[in-house]
Amino acid sequence: MSSLRKIIVLLLVLLAFGALRLKFERQMLTEFRDAGLMREQNHLESRDRIDQTSSAVALGGLRTLVATFLNLRAHGYFERQAWNELQDTYETIVNLAPQTRYYWETGSWHMAYNAASYYLHESSRPPLRRKELWRSSILQGRYFLERGIGNNPRDWSLHASLGHMLRDPNKLPAMRDRDAALMAAHEAYDRSVELGCFSPMLNQRLSLYCLARVRGRESEALELARTLHEDPRHHKPTLLILLYVLEFDADPDQDAGALALRIFGDAKTAYEALAHHWRGNREGYPMDGVAQGLARMEGLLGIPPLQSILGQKLAPGFNPDDWFK
Amino acid sequence: MSESTPTPAFKASHASRMVTLSLHAFTQLVRMKVFYFLAVFAVIVIGSNFFDMAQHQGPESVGANVLRNIKSWSLGAMALFAVVISIVATALLLPRDIEDRTLYTVLAKPVPRIDYLVGRLMGVLLLVFVSLAVMDLLMVAALHLRTGMVMEMQEKMAVGRGWPEEAIQSLKQETLASGVNWQLQAAVLAIFLKVAVMAAICLSVSTFSTSTLFTTVVSFLIFFIGHFQADALDFYLKGVEAGTSTFSQYLALGFSLFIPNFQLFNVVDGLVQNQPITLLMVGKLVMMACYYVLLYTLLAWWIFSDKEV
Amino acid sequence: MANDAPAVEITDLVKEFKTTMRGRPLRAVDQVSLRIMPGEVYGLIGPNGSGKSTTMKALLGLLAPTAGSCKIFGRDSIKVDSRQDVGFLPENPYFYKHLTGGETLRFYGRLCGLGGSVLRERIEVLLELVDLKDARDRRVGGYSKGMLQRIGLAQAMIQHPRLVILDEPTAGVDPVGSREIRDLVLKLRDQGITVFLCSHLLEQVQEVCDRVGIIFAGKLIREGKLEELIAIEDQTEVVIRHADSALVSRIEEIIQSSDGAELVQTGKPRTTLERLFLKEIKRDHQS
Repeated sequence: MSSLRKIIVLLLVLLAFGALRLKFERQMLTEFRDAGLMREQNHLESRDRIDQTSSAVALGGLRTLVATFLNLRAHGYFERQAWNELQDTYETIVNLAPQTRYYWETGSWHMAYNAASYYLHESSRPPLRRKELWRSSILQGRYFLERGIGNNPRDWSLHASLGHMLRDPNKLPAMRDRDAALMAAHEAYDRSVELGCFSPMLNQRLSLYCLARVRGRESEALELARTLHEDPRHHKPTLLILLYVLEFDADPDQDAGALALRIFGDAKTAYEALAHHWRGNREGYPMDGVAQGLARMEGLLGIPPLQSILGQKLAPGFNPDDWFK
Repeated sequence: MSESTPTPAFKASHASRMVTLSLHAFTQLVRMKVFYFLAVFAVIVIGSNFFDMAQHQGPESVGANVLRNIKSWSLGAMALFAVVISIVATALLLPRDIEDRTLYTVLAKPVPRIDYLVGRLMGVLLLVFVSLAVMDLLMVAALHLRTGMVMEMQEKMAVGRGWPEEAIQSLKQETLASGVNWQLQAAVLAIFLKVAVMAAICLSVSTFSTSTLFTTVVSFLIFFIGHFQADALDFYLKGVEAGTSTFSQYLALGFSLFIPNFQLFNVVDGLVQNQPITLLMVGKLVMMACYYVLLYTLLAWWIFSDKEV
Repeated sequence: MANDAPAVEITDLVKEFKTTMRGRPLRAVDQVSLRIMPGEVYGLIGPNGSGKSTTMKALLGLLAPTAGSCKIFGRDSIKVDSRQDVGFLPENPYFYKHLTGGETLRFYGRLCGLGGSVLRERIEVLLELVDLKDARDRRVGGYSKGMLQRIGLAQAMIQHPRLVILDEPTAGVDPVGSREIRDLVLKLRDQGITVFLCSHLLEQVQEVCDRVGIIFAGKLIREGKLEELIAIEDQTEVVIRHADSALVSRIEEIIQSSDGAELVQTGKPRTTLERLFLKEIKRDHQS
């Protein structure tokens, strides 16, 4: 047979077989993408970011391999405190390996914690500028983590990480709406419990700790605190204090002393817990009935008025503006 | 005299000839000392153990990075080695037989040309299979050892932090799941399937090419272009949806008809990240690979059947 | 039935090769027809590039004829089956360098469907025949040219073929090796195996072949029994030992006086260099 005819037959066969497989192949591709085994194709921006050599490798089904190397590179940026490069690198990494929790968590941690605290203490820039950079780093970290959750909605750890970040008194002032952020943290912890986190009891309490700080949600928080309190394993100091505060808030006319004794058991325990709460409240928990409770306990324990904790000067308020002076 | 018996009593079956030829190709490649690359692989696997980065969180992130490194580095190296071995070995065999005139001696025996081609292909695949199996074993061993170490560290740290027992158990379960599992074997299988398709393509290229270099270059080109096939198809289908098929979109269609879709075999990335794969999906992948291998082997035969050697 | 058919039957074989895209095709073999009967040793001689190898490749189905046909024991060479009865030794054979002599024979034997003890015995017999028993476990890559030719011959014989095709079997081999190969060819003839060989070394063809064909520029220009082809009918050769010059002058006178006869040449007959070489090393061995 002439070679020309051979080539024509060859091309026709390729074409026919190609047409035969195309539909099936398309279905398989959709199936694999739905199963999270593969990424959508239109991630051209990630191909732009990876340099030439890596992109060839990434295309060959080695995206996660490239991600591990970029992670090494990112660590170098971290050590050199090159935050912009660090952020860019993590954008690429999560494009390559979007299902790896570690990259989302590490990337957001670098931004919200490391970069933010760098700007907090860095002295070359004027305070206002530093504050703005501090705030934007934290917000970027939050946004990054939220994208991670969008990509992996069933990963409890990402939810818990978001809760940790939003609950953190050092990060909270950066959020535009404090209450909304705390509410989001509360929901994130609940979600992590639903998805089977390692420490469900802790996260349940952390969820309460967030909700208790949201203004206008006190009754909901009280409901939750009561439910948790039914299980003696939950009887940790912060939970007991919050139960006290929320109970008092629900009925401010009640006898603070009786309430404290009911919740803490004895006057000494109640006094120590309330005093601790009174002295340092960085988290900004409600303070309802704490002063009244302390006064009653001091009376019961026979503490003279001159030594009353209520007369002592409180720790200065928690104001981020002070940090940038 | 016995030599003058009219027809010899023995006649080889296709299968036995193919086996003979494939074992021969395998021996030939092994005696070219290809297996030295396994030492490099061992270094990579061992090396992947030493890249542990600063940790920022609790027990759950201790060592998780190392396990992931072992998996993705090993599988990455496997994919790379396997594709290089298959292309280079396939590209080498046929031209070398022609150059050394050993092909005459084989084809002058009662050996149909399809047997010769399939035998060569099977030899290369056997080599790749054995290589992958050894690498797989190394990876699993490293991962197994390291998972045990990581779990010990995690437990120590968790106990130190006063985690309740159930939390520690749950953490252990999760670490175990990211250690040695069947997903990894599916990933290795996917690598093998992809490489088998590549070898078949390389074989058909080598039947009409005149040099090893040409075959190698063209094969790698097809390999990389094949990863864009899905993009081309998406591009065409978008045009169909919008009802505005342009010339470039038809071009994209033609492209996806001719070039195999290698993206399909890239489930490795998902599997490294512990995404589940069903047996049915694995089955479909195997079928797709068989389809391609069969097609390209037949094409190779079509070209080679009356090639003048 | 198959026994009556000629071992080789080439009919009007034409083989053209494309040169360039539009250039005129090159005709390497032009209307060649030849028949070799079972048991014959046939030599195809001609200079390099005259179409010998092309003819052989067409006969083995390695090339497709442009026109005409090739048959082996009545079976078309295009068919794979026809090769069941043929052993082929290519010109300057290179076998797989990574195999040992024994492995080489085993590989080709397996391809022909041999196996088990039958194959093992066959390998023994052939290694004995070609005198390579000592080199059995050495890699073929380290073989000398003569050894390669011999292992090639053994390989060609592996499946008891009734026809053996040898392409330039002694090219590049030293006289001793060359002699051994010639002896092997004669052994094959004694076993009743048909041999078809081609060479540009006329002398070796002369020593072993029953019939000879001369091919030049793709055309078979002479063919026939060796004695008939090379005898010069109108000349007579007389070789005399211890003839002094007087005797020679007397003989010359007689010739001059006889009617019609003419003295073509006198002188000392020479042995060929090859014969001399072989004689000398034989003596060296014996002493």
